[in-house]
Amino acid sequence: MNCRRRVVITGMGCVTALGLGVDRLWQGARSGKSGVKLLNLERTQQQQVQTAAHLDAFNPSSCLDKTIVDSTDRFAQFALIAAMEAVQQASADAPLPINERTGVIVGSGIGGARTSDDQHFAFYVSKTRIDPFTIPRVMPNAAASHISMRYGAKGPSFAVSSACSSGSQSIGLGLQAIRSGSIDTCFVGGSEALITPATFRSWEVLRVMTSTLCRPFSKGRNGMVLGEGAAVIIIEAEDTAQSRGAKPIAILAGYGTSSDAGDIVRPDPDGAARCIRLALDDAELKPADVGYVNAHGTGTVLNDISETMALQAAFGQDIASVSVSSTKPIHGHALGAAGAIELVIAVCALRDQVAPPTINWVEADPRCIPNPVANIALSREIPAALSNSFAFGGINACLAVTRAT
Amino acid sequence: MLQSVEQQLPDPETLNRLLDVIAKEGIVDRDKLLLDSTLDSLGLKSADVVVVLMAVEEQFGVYIPLDDTLSEAKNLREFIAAIALHLQKAKP
Repeated sequence: MNCRRRVVITGMGCVTALGLGVDRLWQGARSGKSGVKLLNLERTQQQQVQTAAHLDAFNPSSCLDKTIVDSTDRFAQFALIAAMEAVQQASADAPLPINERTGVIVGSGIGGARTSDDQHFAFYVSKTRIDPFTIPRVMPNAAASHISMRYGAKGPSFAVSSACSSGSQSIGLGLQAIRSGSIDTCFVGGSEALITPATFRSWEVLRVMTSTLCRPFSKGRNGMVLGEGAAVIIIEAEDTAQSRGAKPIAILAGYGTSSDAGDIVRPDPDGAARCIRLALDDAELKPADVGYVNAHGTGTVLNDISETMALQAAFGQDIASVSVSSTKPIHGHALGAAGAIELVIAVCALRDQVAPPTINWVEADPRCIPNPVANIALSREIPAALSNSFAFGGINACLAVTRAT
Repeated sequence: MLQSVEQQLPDPETLNRLLDVIAKEGIVDRDKLLLDSTLDSLGLKSADVVVVLMAVEEQFGVYIPLDDTLSEAKNLREFIAAIALHLQKAKP
């Protein structure tokens, strides 16, 4: 008999190109309204790709004190605002205890990219004074630390940095820490604010960004659209959540992770399939229990073929009855925040029993999932949902959620 | 909707410029660049392809993402034709 602690989700918050809050994200994902918009980068004449899923009117001062705004990078501000929403939801029924047994694990692929860009520009080009607090703003654990400081969460606090799997692995580690009994509650998630001129150019020269529209799993796809944002999720041991009278949104049922130990950028379907199987096993789910998979689905030629092969291998015949979609054309590829943002969508899908669509899809590619909930959301039975993240470095992560009982 | 790339080779001048770029950026002997050579036999790996596309962007001012036709190009003819398709599309 399995007597490990069950872990539940009691609060969620996010900041995405759709705006502040889970509701805006979910409404966009469900209705197919994209946050992708024109991007005009400063300090460069080299910009080739003209769009990104970015927050063009983000005003941190509307949510955060001046002292915090002045001492944090955009990625930490995103995470703090997401955490505030998550805490508000988790505290709705009863106060959320935050103490020595509360962890904060919030990942980021890069950390304070905008601060780095500004300060490097000041140093190399404008020859002006460097901000003395550059380092504490840039460090990838700044988001986690600012959440710890704001709420007095005195358990383990750190960032996982594993490129596009940072968010998913942070959530998975939080799940394992609560199961181990070392903590009872954890802020988990990811944050990324990487759209700076030089970084954007770095993505361009990798040739993985679309110059038209991001259309995952579709014929004619030619790349991803870059995003930014954060999602922070409060997870708790079910016993402690129950004892304080909190109402769970969903059960965080399983986590699987694997490494390809192969190529630094090329995905490997075997490694991806292995992590999906590990997540299913960890959640004690059969493939037929899964109604929805939020795919990594970047819209690059290679990812979508490789992910399809991985899903087919992990699900076998049952893949035909699972709804698989990518919501990246809505919120963009938010890199270190992607896994967390997409788990939020998977939880909303589970809650509303609706699979959100893959927008911009035009025609089946015989090498890809044949109908990735093309363009229109699908109401269906979803007993369990998965969220996939596959990162450069060959790092695969999969999270499983089931309905709160 | 994928176009056949077989008949889409560019005009001779563009072809020559592209061959020069591939020879330089892919570090391949210009004389060995036969249109029917496979990319593998020329030692052109995915990292070389990315560098070639960057040089094409610098020379022609056209951003070329890794789409189906480029990803599937097995030989030099298909590779050049896939690039030429983007150059053609970008013409005003």
